[in-house]
Amino acid sequence: MIITLTFTTVTVLVAVIVSLMLYNKFAATAEENANLNMQQIIEQVNYNLELYVKGMQRIFETAEEQITGSPSILSPLLSERMEMLMGSREDLVSMAVFTPEGDYVVGTPGQELRRNTQLESQSWFTSAQTAEEISFSAPHIQNLFKGHYTWVVSVSQTIHYLDNGTLRSGVLLIDFNFRTIDELSKQVKLGKRGYAYILDPQGNIVYHPQQQLIYAGLKYENVEPVLEYAYRSYLDDSTGEQRFITVRTLERTGWKIVGVAYYDEIVTTKRDLNQFLAWFLGAVILCVIVVSVLMSARIASPIRKLERTVKLVGEGDLNTPINVSGAYEVEQLSKRFNLMLQRIRQLMDQIIYEQEGKRKGELEVLQSQINPHFLYNTLNSVIRLAERGKTEEVVTMITSLSRFFRISLSKGSHIITVREELDHIRHYLVIQSFRFRNKFRYEITAQPEVLDCRTIKLILQPIVENALYHGIEMMPDEGLIAITAVLREGNIILQVSDNGLGMSRETMNKLLSGVSRSEHGSGVGVRNVNERIGLYYGREYGLGFESELEEGTVVTITFPAGEYESPGNGHKEGAEL
Amino acid sequence: MRSLRTLLLPVCAAGSLLLTSCVSPQPDYVSTGRTRNIDMIVKMSKGDYWNTVKLGAEAAAKDFNVNLNFKAPDSESDINGQVALVQESIQGKADAIVLAASSYMGLAQVVDQAAYVKIPVLSVDAEVGSAKVTSYIGSNGYEAGQKAAERLIELLKGYGEIGILNFTSSSVHQETESSSVFDYGARDANEREKGFLNYAARYPNVHVVQISYTSSSEAEAEQLTRDMLHKHPALRGIATMNETASQGAGKVVQTLKRGAVKMVAFDSSPAMMELLQEGTVQATVIQNPFSNGYLAVKQAVQVLEGKKVEERVDTGTKLIDLENMLWPENQKLLFPFVR
Repeated sequence: MIITLTFTTVTVLVAVIVSLMLYNKFAATAEENANLNMQQIIEQVNYNLELYVKGMQRIFETAEEQITGSPSILSPLLSERMEMLMGSREDLVSMAVFTPEGDYVVGTPGQELRRNTQLESQSWFTSAQTAEEISFSAPHIQNLFKGHYTWVVSVSQTIHYLDNGTLRSGVLLIDFNFRTIDELSKQVKLGKRGYAYILDPQGNIVYHPQQQLIYAGLKYENVEPVLEYAYRSYLDDSTGEQRFITVRTLERTGWKIVGVAYYDEIVTTKRDLNQFLAWFLGAVILCVIVVSVLMSARIASPIRKLERTVKLVGEGDLNTPINVSGAYEVEQLSKRFNLMLQRIRQLMDQIIYEQEGKRKGELEVLQSQINPHFLYNTLNSVIRLAERGKTEEVVTMITSLSRFFRISLSKGSHIITVREELDHIRHYLVIQSFRFRNKFRYEITAQPEVLDCRTIKLILQPIVENALYHGIEMMPDEGLIAITAVLREGNIILQVSDNGLGMSRETMNKLLSGVSRSEHGSGVGVRNVNERIGLYYGREYGLGFESELEEGTVVTITFPAGEYESPGNGHKEGAEL
Repeated sequence: MRSLRTLLLPVCAAGSLLLTSCVSPQPDYVSTGRTRNIDMIVKMSKGDYWNTVKLGAEAAAKDFNVNLNFKAPDSESDINGQVALVQESIQGKADAIVLAASSYMGLAQVVDQAAYVKIPVLSVDAEVGSAKVTSYIGSNGYEAGQKAAERLIELLKGYGEIGILNFTSSSVHQETESSSVFDYGARDANEREKGFLNYAARYPNVHVVQISYTSSSEAEAEQLTRDMLHKHPALRGIATMNETASQGAGKVVQTLKRGAVKMVAFDSSPAMMELLQEGTVQATVIQNPFSNGYLAVKQAVQVLEGKKVEERVDTGTKLIDLENMLWPENQKLLFPFVR
């Protein structure tokens, strides 16, 4: 869970930060480009219109030249030339010359003048009278000639003409319709809804793609800020929508080209980007979550499985198999754990086996002591002694027997002191010496410091028994069994030596492997002792034999002094009893 | 749990940041993202007036991404034709219907039908006798009639006989002197006439001697005018209540001695402007056909967008005479900017 969350958080954060940075950068660039693009378009329109106005001016000048140069204003040649000029351009509506009083002098096309034209009050007429330069009117209805009412832009100026030789001044009027301006402005594509319109210096709209709407009062253009500047770009939100306005001003007419682009359109890129980033981030987050969930599942689930198994093991079920696959580390961990478990099982089996071995060995020894044969022989000896009235010996015998058994049992403890063990063997030897009628002597010597050391019990008796039955019994001379106990290099060394028959190497090997069993004695082999020592103290300890035929045998028992509690739990059990 | 929250916090913050940067508030202007099918059914397929209405509607259609289906019968009197057109629009599952009803009652039922199948109906120019109409966009006919009467009586200096040439949808009612059979007439015609008559009634010396009805044919209007002049030789003034009637009457008046009969007309066709400039017709009451068309479509779009619209939009009337016809603001109204 934590892995997933951390991973997700970090990745998402990084994605968000990167996206935001990219977004800001891209958006700014997109906006800048859009603005630049728009300004270029308006610049282009401005240039074209400039050319167009220049063209209007040139036509006006041509017409003026013709009129001024003509000997008479009413000459048919002039009228023909004027017609030609009219025909040269589609956007020319009419040309006419008026007297300063407003009377019609001449005009093309030669249509009938309407009544009530009120031309004296019209702007083109008044400004032509006052202005020095050619004046351009605001768009208005041309109402002079019958036939049509046309929306035109009028170009006018006071000119001089010859009328029958007299130089008179008059007003030349040329009306242009909006065809060309419309065509020029129509090219302007500022986004889907953007457009360009033209404003005269007074703030009248000369041209607007939605002129009809403007005139009907259904649409407004916020012209005030436009009028203030000749060359500018700004953001306008007077209509509730953000619109990007670019203003350029024509030189001659003072007309202003106003480009209007809808902000949300010129920044489509921004919106697209926005959308894309939203999708992108969504996808990234989703991917990250899925990936991290999968990943952590892959990592965590084997660990969890491992944990569950370990818990089972902890509860004591050592047979739980661990078959965890997953990440390499986890796999290794589970393999190791499996090995460990195996080892534990092995060791536990071993412990069980060893415990069993110890008990069995001890039991065997114990059994050997309450062996009826031994008891029978001993009691027989006691009876014989009693019959002979050797009371003292009987007492010694019985006492020894009793001590012998007491130490044998020693309250169930497996561990006794070396002193007790030596006592035990001494009592055994006392008993046996009665039985073998002083056929042998024995000596028990021990270093004093070894006496209080601990030993497992009943390790000497099988060896001594072995020495008696195999070494000494068949001997013609008096035998000697010497038992010594010494402490050497932290080990206790008990030695049982006899001067009996000795044995071959073969027999020695057989002794430890336990193949040969003597028909006499307790039947508990020397092997039992060796096993028990091995089980208690480790396999490096145990029995050693040195034997020479006809010379005797020395059996050495080696085991560590002191640390008798640590191997196994034998002592503890004993202590509890 | 604590660590969980501290980890979650930046994620939430990032998420909210993302959300706010992506979600922009709803714009208060009409969205043009969706194309809507709007049927506009007017009284007649010809005539400058209806052409201008159409121009306005087309301008709005362009502005608001509307697929405009403009339909009209051949004549203003063809009520059944108009009903059939509305039914056709209902069958065609138009998103909205904009209707200039040629009969107040005659179109009521079919409008109710449209409302039943959840098609909003907006009326333009002329009202229709259904409560299901969403909005009315047009001028106040009564007021317009009063304006005409005011000017005509002024021109007549407060006395004399007046003839009225109105239009109707049922040809049966031609040449009726009573004003009681309006049930199947067009609402705007009735209103204008009512306004005129009520105003004229204030002047005891002014007598409305005849009201003739044309069913939207110029030739018929001409004939009716001639009949009227023949029947009432002392007639000093004529008032005409719609474009067709005005054109017809104007043509007749043009042939008379200038100034013999004063005339106040309706609507502003170029021909009418010519008559006005010549002095044949003294004044004309103009409406705002372009605005009517434009606003009707715009309102229809707003209705489709689920925005609240005004129940009535009065686009106003204006009295135009020779003096003010060339005022810049009137030029813009009178002469549609046709390229």
